[in-house]
Amino acid sequence: MSEPSIFFSEVNERQGAFHRRSFLLGGFAGAGLLALGGRLAHLQILEAQRYQKLSASNQFNFRLVPPPRGLIVDRNGEVLATNRPNFRLLVVKDGEHEPGATLQTLAHFVPLDAARQERLMREFERTPNRVPVSVMEDMTWEQFSAINVRAPEMPNVTADMGEVRVYPYGGAFAHVIGYVAKVNREDLTDTGPNSEAILLHPGFRIGRQGVEKAFDLDLRGRTGARKVEVDARGREIRNDPDGDILAVSGKTVELTLDVDIQNRALEVMGDESGAIVVMDCRTGDLLCMVSAPSFDANRFVRGLSTAEYRALADYERRPLLDKAMSGTYPPGSTFKMTTALAALSAGINPEERIHCSGGWRFGGRTWRCWRHGGHGAQNMHDAIKNSCDVYFYQVALRMGPDHIARAAKALGFGQAFDIGIPGQRTGVVGSREWKRTQVKRDPTWHPGDSVSYGIGQGYITANGLQLAVMTARLANGRKQLNPRLIKSVGGVEMPPGDEVPNLPFSQEHLDYVRAGMISVANDRSGTAFRQSQLGLGDVMMAGKTGTAQVRSYDGVANRDSRSVRWGLKDHNLYVAFAPIDEPRYAISVIIQHGGLGGATAAAPRAREVMRVALLKDPEIRARIVRPMPLPDVTDLPPVGMAPDGAVAAPPPLEPGEPT
Amino acid sequence: MTMSALRRPGERDRLVVKFTQIDWTFAIALCLLAGTGALMMFSVAGSSWEPWAGPHLFRFGFCFVLMIALALFDIRVWFALAYPIYGLGLLLLVAVELVGDTRMGATRWLDLGFMSFQPSEVMKVGIVLALARFYHGISAEDARLSWRLIVPAAMIAAPVVLVAHQPDLGTAMLIALTGAAVVVLAGLSWKVIGAAVISFVAAVPIMVVFVLHEYQRKRVMTFLDPESDPSGSGYHILQSKIALGSGGFFGKGYGLGSQSQLNFLPEKHTDFIFATLAEEFGFLGCALVLALFAAVIFMALRTASLAHSHFGRLAAAGVTATFTLYVLINGAMVMGLAPVVGVPMPLLSYGGTVMLTVMIGWGLVQSVRVHRYSEVTSGKGAFV
Repeated sequence: MSEPSIFFSEVNERQGAFHRRSFLLGGFAGAGLLALGGRLAHLQILEAQRYQKLSASNQFNFRLVPPPRGLIVDRNGEVLATNRPNFRLLVVKDGEHEPGATLQTLAHFVPLDAARQERLMREFERTPNRVPVSVMEDMTWEQFSAINVRAPEMPNVTADMGEVRVYPYGGAFAHVIGYVAKVNREDLTDTGPNSEAILLHPGFRIGRQGVEKAFDLDLRGRTGARKVEVDARGREIRNDPDGDILAVSGKTVELTLDVDIQNRALEVMGDESGAIVVMDCRTGDLLCMVSAPSFDANRFVRGLSTAEYRALADYERRPLLDKAMSGTYPPGSTFKMTTALAALSAGINPEERIHCSGGWRFGGRTWRCWRHGGHGAQNMHDAIKNSCDVYFYQVALRMGPDHIARAAKALGFGQAFDIGIPGQRTGVVGSREWKRTQVKRDPTWHPGDSVSYGIGQGYITANGLQLAVMTARLANGRKQLNPRLIKSVGGVEMPPGDEVPNLPFSQEHLDYVRAGMISVANDRSGTAFRQSQLGLGDVMMAGKTGTAQVRSYDGVANRDSRSVRWGLKDHNLYVAFAPIDEPRYAISVIIQHGGLGGATAAAPRAREVMRVALLKDPEIRARIVRPMPLPDVTDLPPVGMAPDGAVAAPPPLEPGEPT
Repeated sequence: MTMSALRRPGERDRLVVKFTQIDWTFAIALCLLAGTGALMMFSVAGSSWEPWAGPHLFRFGFCFVLMIALALFDIRVWFALAYPIYGLGLLLLVAVELVGDTRMGATRWLDLGFMSFQPSEVMKVGIVLALARFYHGISAEDARLSWRLIVPAAMIAAPVVLVAHQPDLGTAMLIALTGAAVVVLAGLSWKVIGAAVISFVAAVPIMVVFVLHEYQRKRVMTFLDPESDPSGSGYHILQSKIALGSGGFFGKGYGLGSQSQLNFLPEKHTDFIFATLAEEFGFLGCALVLALFAAVIFMALRTASLAHSHFGRLAAAGVTATFTLYVLINGAMVMGLAPVVGVPMPLLSYGGTVMLTVMIGWGLVQSVRVHRYSEVTSGKGAFV
């Protein structure tokens, strides 16, 4: 069986066939391997660059870094809105780790009750994969480090340091500056700045109100990016600092407001509801624009609970409403300067005397003057000083509404000013044309309408800003000043408010009306004499009181505002400027439903705020502190001009003057 | 002593002589391939022997010793055991059908208590042995075209149907192609081969529509248009191509393959290990490894052609054909030329079962080499 010869006999057909076929198999294998080699050469040599790009785009990712939001500062550089570090806990849904289980683990380190976990779970459902969800903000350092130590065990958790907006002055600037809040789905757009991916970043906040909203894009800055290497699950493996794109912080927005005046204004409002606006009557800069009561904008940054929001929204004094711009009120007697100017322009002789007996019969009813006993014979100056209603009833009736409307518009009523932030309501300036088009149920202008128009009631309403503008224009005595709120953005000065045409009134008429306002505050018989004494020597204030009815007194037995409920009390107003010789600041104060009369409720507050404004002004301080009659010592250093405000309580310079 | 020693019956039965007759160049090539596999596993595990590189080398060592041991078994033992092994494989496949473990929707596994294994793997060697055994006994004329060829057809069909029903289309196809390779090598008429190829090509679309399971159909569709769903089923093919292409000519460097290191590449240590290699060592590394595979295949084919027994020739060539199919199918899959089927790259990929099957096969081939001058009786039922 095992003879060698047998091998040679095996050389047969079968073997031949096998040999031929095995060559075929070899050929097949060789061809196949060559084909693979060819394919490899194609991919790795010819198309290598294309695949290297694809590989790099797999490997590297840019993680967006929100830029620090720009600061908001007051006219002296005092910071009104800034950012502070915030230790934040982020959890990312990566398809591998169950967010619910992660939250339960995290609950061992940070307070996360069941309700909060449930709310977060809903947020996880809405959030796409790989977009981090902020689980907790403002962790303490201990919580932050406790989580960071355990980070390797929880790859879907990051504890990082972000920034959160903070408003150091809480409520004082809440209405002007507004606040920032989380981005809503409604904020996102398909194109434009709100389409950028950074808006999805959990640390990003969008401006919601006021300056934060109006200058949102300037404040945002330029988004940065970190170049990171990621794995297939999108997890960060390492950072490549050379590839980072630095974030550029947002522009600084400088306001014309002054933090001291603004804070004091909110303080003096106390529990009252209303607004105070202070305006520079030479430049138009707004130094103060406060609405009271206010709210803490910092609460909005964190996100308000429904209960907190309801408490604010349902409070009858409406803290969320900006009463300086969005609340419109009848100006009452503060409108009498306008009526007077209109009358002067209409050719009425100011020296003509009208007799006030405490009331005036017209159109089948008695139009009462605020003083029951009457003022006697009044010329225009007296009528302003005494705020005589009867005088202005008759003057207004005589000239008709259109003269008044023209004067009112020239003084700023009925318009919204370009101050950079939205939210002004223009109010109403009545005229025949206006009533014909706007009052559908009674389009005819009745003489009675003119009568109440004359004392700032009826078809005339204004906001606090308009009243301040009116006062500033009167005080300036020439220019049709515009208010300015935004001083500069990113170092670029905004157009000032004094590059404007002159008022369409003669200098003589303006001086006449101004003299009336000076008498209101400085004649012992003026309606606001006691409340208008600044106690700053020859730096004196001029003003005009106002009391606006919010209900008709016809047939009402009790006209005493003090005993009715808050919502029915009169509004109290005061407008003023100072100093009387070289007007510098104008102020308007509205106390909503103050119920005490303009002189009592509004004037003392105006005086206090005005004092702060004047005492901050170095020129005014120099006047007050300098020993009185030494006109030729201008080269002496001003006495007592210590930089820390040592003259905050100036000594009485004129003995016997009330303070 | 080599040639002459083998020709002397007394001499060639000595273990030492047999040992020297093993193709040691071939054995070293196998070691290089397995070592390359371990090298890549070490890299993708982040420079760690665990969890893949160490076990891979350990298994290879075990299988290598097994291969040497099997090489020393007389070719006549293999001859005698050919039908029993095939029969056992068939029995196990039926058993799987009845009592097999179902994992991931497919019943492929048989739990033996201490280990579980896939009987279809036994069949990969079993079909080669059985067909070689059968063709050993018939004339060239019959092998070309005769009614007796119903037997090999049935031998192939039975396991293919059973495995395809598991369903494990990849393995069924491998068994079918292996069987077909042996039948062709044995000298099947070209007319029959031509007819079979034409009818197969015609049957493919029908298979795709009516026979394939949903996931299998999806794989085929994804292969035809991988970009259609880049993060779904097309993901594997696309990421594999990115890994390959981005390797370039010289590769990204050992341990620096971003696709594999950062897990973009799926199955980076098993079915797609070739892509890992391609990314880190580039075209140069791939070409070397393909050359190694070519060397292994051609050395094995040469062994087949040296054998004096028809059984030995066909068995060795059949095993080589199986191995070649593994390499080509996996290569084509990794390079985006074939649908994703679960066929690993032999010796390179991590996985014990395939390693065992392949090395048992090489044991058979080396046995054929060592016993190439041995006479194998064609008598029916002869045992040693």
